[in-house]
Amino acid sequence: MSDIDTSTPREGGVPRSIGGIPIARSGVGRLLEEQTAVDFVGRRKFGLLASGLLIVVTVVSLFAQGLNLGIDFTGGVSWDVPVTEQFGLDDAEGVLEANSIDTEGSRIQERSSDAGDFIKVQVGDLPTETEAALRQAFADAAGVSVDDVDVNSVSSTWGEDVTDKAVRALIVFVILVTIYISLRFEWRMAIAAIIAMLHDVLISVGIYSIFQFIVTPSTVIAFLTILGYSLYDTIVVFDRVKENESRYGAARPPYDDVLNVSMNQVLMRSLNTSLSSIVPVISLLFVGSFLLGQQTLSEFALALLIGMATGTYSSIFIAVPLLGLLKQRDPHWAAGRASGRITGELLREMVVTGNMAGRRARSRGAATAAGASAVAGDDASPETTTIPVDPAEQAKAALSHPPRPRKKQRR
Amino acid sequence: MNRSRLWATLLVFVALIAAALGIQIVRGDTPVLGLDLQGGLSVIYATTEPAEADDLTTIRDLMRTQLEEFGIAEPDVRVEGQNIIVDLPGVTDSAEAFEALQVSGIVEIRPVLQCQQTLPTPTTVPGGSTPTSTPSSSVPGTTAPGESVGTTPTTVADTASDDTGTASAAGAVGGSRIGRTRGFVASATPDDTVSDATTSTPTPTSVPSTTPADGSGATDTSVPTGTSVPGGSVPLTTDPPTTDPPVFGPTVPPTTVPVDTSGQITVPNKDGTELCLLGPTAGTGEVFQRNGADVQIDPQTGGWVINADLRDEGELAWNAVASQCYSGAATCPAAVGSSGRLAIVLDDVIQSAPTVNAPSFSDTVTISGAFTEQEARDLAKTINRGAFPVQVEQQRAETVSPTAGDDSLQAAVFAGLAGVALTLLYMMAYYRKLSVVIIVGLVVWAGLVYVLSTYISRETNYAFTIAGATGIIVSIGVTVDTYIVFFERLKDEIRSGRTLVNAAPRAFAATWKTILAANTVALMSAVVLFFLSVGSVRGFALYLGMTTIADVVVFYFFTRPMLYLMAGTRWFDSSNPRSIGVGTAIGGAQ
Repeated sequence: MSDIDTSTPREGGVPRSIGGIPIARSGVGRLLEEQTAVDFVGRRKFGLLASGLLIVVTVVSLFAQGLNLGIDFTGGVSWDVPVTEQFGLDDAEGVLEANSIDTEGSRIQERSSDAGDFIKVQVGDLPTETEAALRQAFADAAGVSVDDVDVNSVSSTWGEDVTDKAVRALIVFVILVTIYISLRFEWRMAIAAIIAMLHDVLISVGIYSIFQFIVTPSTVIAFLTILGYSLYDTIVVFDRVKENESRYGAARPPYDDVLNVSMNQVLMRSLNTSLSSIVPVISLLFVGSFLLGQQTLSEFALALLIGMATGTYSSIFIAVPLLGLLKQRDPHWAAGRASGRITGELLREMVVTGNMAGRRARSRGAATAAGASAVAGDDASPETTTIPVDPAEQAKAALSHPPRPRKKQRR
Repeated sequence: MNRSRLWATLLVFVALIAAALGIQIVRGDTPVLGLDLQGGLSVIYATTEPAEADDLTTIRDLMRTQLEEFGIAEPDVRVEGQNIIVDLPGVTDSAEAFEALQVSGIVEIRPVLQCQQTLPTPTTVPGGSTPTSTPSSSVPGTTAPGESVGTTPTTVADTASDDTGTASAAGAVGGSRIGRTRGFVASATPDDTVSDATTSTPTPTSVPSTTPADGSGATDTSVPTGTSVPGGSVPLTTDPPTTDPPVFGPTVPPTTVPVDTSGQITVPNKDGTELCLLGPTAGTGEVFQRNGADVQIDPQTGGWVINADLRDEGELAWNAVASQCYSGAATCPAAVGSSGRLAIVLDDVIQSAPTVNAPSFSDTVTISGAFTEQEARDLAKTINRGAFPVQVEQQRAETVSPTAGDDSLQAAVFAGLAGVALTLLYMMAYYRKLSVVIIVGLVVWAGLVYVLSTYISRETNYAFTIAGATGIIVSIGVTVDTYIVFFERLKDEIRSGRTLVNAAPRAFAATWKTILAANTVALMSAVVLFFLSVGSVRGFALYLGMTTIADVVVFYFFTRPMLYLMAGTRWFDSSNPRSIGVGTAIGGAQ
């Protein structure tokens, strides 16, 4: 039911004003003014389906090709080449490129000690012949004898124990956050938020696996950042849901209504936040790494970009639908479920006025003649050209400060 | 709202930041940059003997842990060939680096053959009366000696005390549960005397039960510790526990036992109060589980104890020598009424020489004694360090060029600023006049973050790395979000017909809790990562947490008063909500 996109209804479908508040004429205008009426709940299956698919692809990719781990994780080979007049940092990179070795993920440092200056070039594991060939190549480039170039195999700097600690940190974090959200909000929200967060991390890792981007310690740090960011975003959404819960609590509409209203109310904020978070990261990625050629930055920026995008997405399309599913068993909201979720202009009215006027009007409308369309089984043409707002309701809204829902409900 | 109070908040807050910034500028403080940005110093270690790859990775991990415990943040440790390379960020003085990296020694476990007090008198506490419970507290403490080892702290406390007659109390863990022979306790060997053994710490001692123990107290005095070398030739084979009143015995003159003098060494204890002759090495620190030692408070005695896990192979080695000591065999003589002692030696100094009071141990060894927390932690660290499978030596130090370098930092700063500028342009288009608050607020926030970054990077070892820089760039998004949450709410209020003056406090009240909740979670992630992670992750978490706190603080002390104050000015024309980005409002245009 209700697969109608009520955010961009046919011309004339949107009332000029609701409760005295003018409604923007264009879809964008309504978006900006938080007057949308998107039926998020009705569309939750798309989000869940898309994420499900992505997760399947991720898992398959992780098993099939794993992650492309950088030298900090895998170790590799290093050459110590003496610095000579003809050989510097750039030349070292040149030698690698000339031998068609991927310089991405290599580490080139200049070191000096009492024994003299040298350049340490480190790359991932190579076949022994290549190793020897490169030793020769470095010696030639520096104009020294092969014996002056040391070759060593190098261990990872990021060992098992570091990974173990990171995983332990993750587990502790999940537990703490679950407790915190359970206390601050409720356990269902905690579960939904945590699942959304894990979803983000999994998908971010998946994208690294699918495209075989090199995983460096920076990447791991970026993934950990995603944890916080994802939860942050989800909590802002849930906070609004919670607020609306208490606002509508007495009227007991279907919980889906509460979710839909909340989502539409925070939609613009979510988009704004995503934009303002992602723009600097995109700037880091394009300006920093593409224009200025700073590879370290791109390692971070890429992972962050992916994480933030999924973080925003999951708050809306994973966390909230999950919360809806979890709430289905909550007895408090059971009563309202039978009346079905409202969509369209009635939903818009609730979004805009922030009170239950729409729902009450609808039940009244259903009783009279106007809104036979709205109730549970509404078919594909529910649009009414004018909003069935009770005149008294409207007058009241126009006169007084509208957001006084509690008082009204208590009648 | 009281306008003058708002002004005061605003001005004081800004003045504080400006003052901090000013001080830093005057002093010329700038953030300390990390290894990736400014290079640092690298110390190369080599093993003294050929080592397996596994051993080398073990050492690598241990070294990193140790460095972090020492306070060196984000070291880059790796194995290269037979060398271990430690890159230290922001360190330029090689002497400092070498000092930080005193990790060469390996820990040995040796039986104690005999000891001699090097300090004049044992200042014994007038034992007589004090005995039992108090002994511990009263005495000037030399700690090292008075510890005991055991699988279970508690236990046999009493017995031990009695046996030893003397010092007993000291080391004896005031176990309430008796009878478990396994337990241990032992306490200080005679020579340790109460005095030594006991420090001021509440520690085990208490030894409630043992009434007779008093006797022990008495003993102490009588037995001029110094003299008696525990080296009792009289192995006390039988079970130590016996409640008999203090066996004075201990005084039995030492007389050397050593049959085979090879491998013996004479070394002092940690605070130099004792000089002991030790038997050949019975094992290295490898008998202990890697990082398996930790400290805790013994719930029964309230004293600090160290629990060290034994590894499977280590257990054999440990028990082999422990049983000798327990029975007081010639290789590990015991004082009368006590068992022999095992010394844990690092760099030719006895770190601890507890009496063994169980013939065998499984899994865990508990060392108790009159430790202060610090002493207990140090000992645990020593034991953990002991897990170095091979000895390593410092070879040389090298300076390292930055991997990322100035270019990277400049690129990051440039990219970050460009990103922020774009974001602000968007905010200006979206929030119109309100965006002034965002811009000024971000400037204040940036000032605070800079001050804090400088402070953190100078005062801690968490230098400012590319990771930190990106962390801050990321946090810009979250910071701007604080404003967005607030302003969206503000617009809601205005749409429903309120004036800005009226709407601002309402919007603040409604969003403050949201912002706190969301930032709390962000902060939690930073704190957890900081305490449970290692290396660069920690540095990153530190900066992320710092920016989160800065965000909340700026929001409360700056953004809020600023908006309240501005709301009343003529510049914000309440009759024209469009000027603050509200397109439609009750009675408004449209």
